[in-house]
Amino acid sequence: MKQTQKTSNDLKGDMPMRPDKPLGWTRRLFSASALSLALGSSVGLATLSHDTQAASARDNTVAIAIEANMARLDPHASTTWNTFRVLMHIFEGFVAEDLTIKDVEQPPIVPALAESWKISEDGLTYTFNLRKGVKFHDGTAFNAEAVKFNMDRMLDKDFKYYQAVAAGLMRWMWQDLDSYKVIDEHTFEIKLKSPNSEFLRRLAMGGSGTPRFISPASIEKGGNDSVETNPIGTGPFKFEKRTVGEATTLLANKDYWDAERLPEIERLIFRPISEVATRELALMSGEVDMISSPSPDSIDRLKAQGLKIESSPVSTLYMMWVNMKEKPLQDVRVRQAICMALDREGMAKFHRNGYAQPAYSVLNFGGPGYDPGFRDCQYDPEKAKALLAEAGYPDGFKTRMDWTMGGGGDVNTVGDAEWIQRNLSKIGIEASIESFDNGTYWDMLGSGIREGTGFMSVSWGETSFFWLDQVIASDAIPPNGFNAGYYDNPKIDELLAQARSAKNEDAMVEHLHEIQQTIADDMAFIPYYTPIAIYAMRPNVSGFVLAPQHWHDYTGLKKN
Amino acid sequence: MARFILMRLLQMIPVLLGVSFVVFISVYLVPGDVARTLLGYQASETAVQALREEMGLNRPMLVQYWIWLSDLLRLDLGFSGALRMPVAEVLGGKIVNSLVLMGFSLFLVVAIGFVLSTYAATRFRKLGDRLTVFATLVMASVPTFWLGILLLYVFSIQLQLFPISGMYDMYDPGGFWQLLHHATLPAVATAASAIAIVTRVSRSAMIDVNSRTYMRAIRSRGITPARVNYVHMVRNALPAFVNISGLQVGYLFGSAIFSEIIFNWPGIGLQLYNAILQRDAPMIQGCSLVIALTFVISNFLADLIVRMLDAGKR
Repeated sequence: MKQTQKTSNDLKGDMPMRPDKPLGWTRRLFSASALSLALGSSVGLATLSHDTQAASARDNTVAIAIEANMARLDPHASTTWNTFRVLMHIFEGFVAEDLTIKDVEQPPIVPALAESWKISEDGLTYTFNLRKGVKFHDGTAFNAEAVKFNMDRMLDKDFKYYQAVAAGLMRWMWQDLDSYKVIDEHTFEIKLKSPNSEFLRRLAMGGSGTPRFISPASIEKGGNDSVETNPIGTGPFKFEKRTVGEATTLLANKDYWDAERLPEIERLIFRPISEVATRELALMSGEVDMISSPSPDSIDRLKAQGLKIESSPVSTLYMMWVNMKEKPLQDVRVRQAICMALDREGMAKFHRNGYAQPAYSVLNFGGPGYDPGFRDCQYDPEKAKALLAEAGYPDGFKTRMDWTMGGGGDVNTVGDAEWIQRNLSKIGIEASIESFDNGTYWDMLGSGIREGTGFMSVSWGETSFFWLDQVIASDAIPPNGFNAGYYDNPKIDELLAQARSAKNEDAMVEHLHEIQQTIADDMAFIPYYTPIAIYAMRPNVSGFVLAPQHWHDYTGLKKN
Repeated sequence: MARFILMRLLQMIPVLLGVSFVVFISVYLVPGDVARTLLGYQASETAVQALREEMGLNRPMLVQYWIWLSDLLRLDLGFSGALRMPVAEVLGGKIVNSLVLMGFSLFLVVAIGFVLSTYAATRFRKLGDRLTVFATLVMASVPTFWLGILLLYVFSIQLQLFPISGMYDMYDPGGFWQLLHHATLPAVATAASAIAIVTRVSRSAMIDVNSRTYMRAIRSRGITPARVNYVHMVRNALPAFVNISGLQVGYLFGSAIFSEIIFNWPGIGLQLYNAILQRDAPMIQGCSLVIALTFVISNFLADLIVRMLDAGKR
């Protein structure tokens, strides 16, 4: 502070003043106000401090800056994974993924509000034994009736509190549902039309709606829309307040049923900061304690500042959709040549600074059936050239890549396109790049790749394989889904159905591996890398577990 | 005077109607389906249809416009698609936040612009004048977002004098001084180019006044130079100063959008940016409308003040 004060005095001395003329009061006033405005305000304001009162609040609060704003808070109607990242702490379902452990490929399924469950021999009936003595944050008892209330809200058009968009949003969850009923106060039964090998896994998911439970009393009292401003669940954190666009604050639930996962901190603040540079600066200055997705290029600088970095591969895949309607790309040899031209290892190592793993299969890391040894093709530009010549394109051809400028967690997606463009130019394929904002881009993907464009690309992937239904199945060709490259192979549909209705995991994985091989043979999709999720935090933050999932458990988070 | 005000208010009606129509259809000119974007890519067609119904998107466009406009007159801006909360409720707080930033920026524009232009005009073609002209050239050419990041780097990261983002401290929010502390950098970034414009225009106006014969007459009467400068010159150049300052308000809103994003200031600009990313049509309309309204009203006020100054002169 003192230094700045001195500067202002120095400047004052330098002010041009003519001694031969009387210095009018107005002039003095102007000089003074100019200085005080330009510098003085900073001097005065910068001295303000609020260290003392805030000290205790600071110790028990962890503020996390995330990439994007959250959407609506109704868990049955909420749409983005960024929102689920907050909602998962407030709401719980029958089961959950255990996110308190890391270094696993896929988080194991553990009991949540169902203490245990029984699956019938034919895989059609699930009987859930509900946890006793659990209360919602508003004191309402959790029981089978509360479960039925929520099921009705998601699925029964005639229910008073029916959430109109829920069923459609959660087709991935309830597509095989037959019926459900209350058995007794602590037992609930769900019947399926056909077995679903992933039913429990999907019960733990979210992002496009989530089958988690809201306090019936809170909805009966405030109506359906009240969930947006007053979300009441059973989770380890309860909702305190949300100021749209600024912050959402959660408080520790001291009465949480799981003594092992009682939150260590008192408050958790989620703060959307979409600018990656601002997010990093906010962390460096201590305005927040933790940030998600710093730029891979900033990691060394953040480390040099003494900040802690956690990173782990996450169940996401960056992949190119190939337009099967484009003339040169109709030939499978051309598509194989393109695959061989891609230096995916180099891309992960140099372009992504090591914060990515090359990906070679549509079965993503963290998802069922992931096989780290699988290769859809080997990097070999020479052979790629030969294949192109064989297909009748010895001098290559021209095409276009439509690319996204990136959504919430993406950093420098256009850089990916440029890397691929360079790789393709080495085998004579001249690809131009056009980039679009993320919203527009997804609309384009949903209506199919346009004429003249060879490739589009987004990141997708879950710890479940339901997303493949919307991407590679032939009934997902636009406008019915996101099979944007018009890949039409009925065998895939069959295999997907078989994988879903497989009676055990081994059978499911076997079908999935067949899918992986078929896609690689047809080369309709060319994956390129699995990103490594990065979190950066202040040195006094501990207990963060970066499980391989898009969202994380914050109950162990501590601040000292 | 009353007649003038009435006429100007009446003139505003067609302008506002035009603005509202442009704001309304702009969302529909963007390709893509609003309901689909809001629900995400795993939603079924039934869910999209249900939302289209809920949002009234299935009606003809002009009918939608009419409904929207009549709701608007009741200050009902509809429900945000992404948040399922009333737009007016969300925007209410954001407007206040933006006005705080704007108010502080405008204060900087008026105060610094006035001081700098007077300083430069009284030192016409001397070093102080040339330095001021050079400084304003730099300020006018620097984009807001670049200046914002530069200010952040120098004053927040290196010198650690100012916070990085937001309006209040996350852990212990509240208080006027905390607000001012947070507002300083975004306000400077927002105001920079407007300060330059105001300085340049009113400097020219003052120099122009100085070259008039009546100013020579005043000087020849032996009135002190300070009085000549600060009373006669300034007063005669005041209408130009007020006019150009008033015009800056609209442009300040434009720069404020960038500042709000860089500094994460929770105002209309940041809300608009997020609404565009989320393709939240009612929210985009609400934000654009508020910005357009600010522009129209501030121009009206500037005209009014100039008129009053003129009347005072007569």
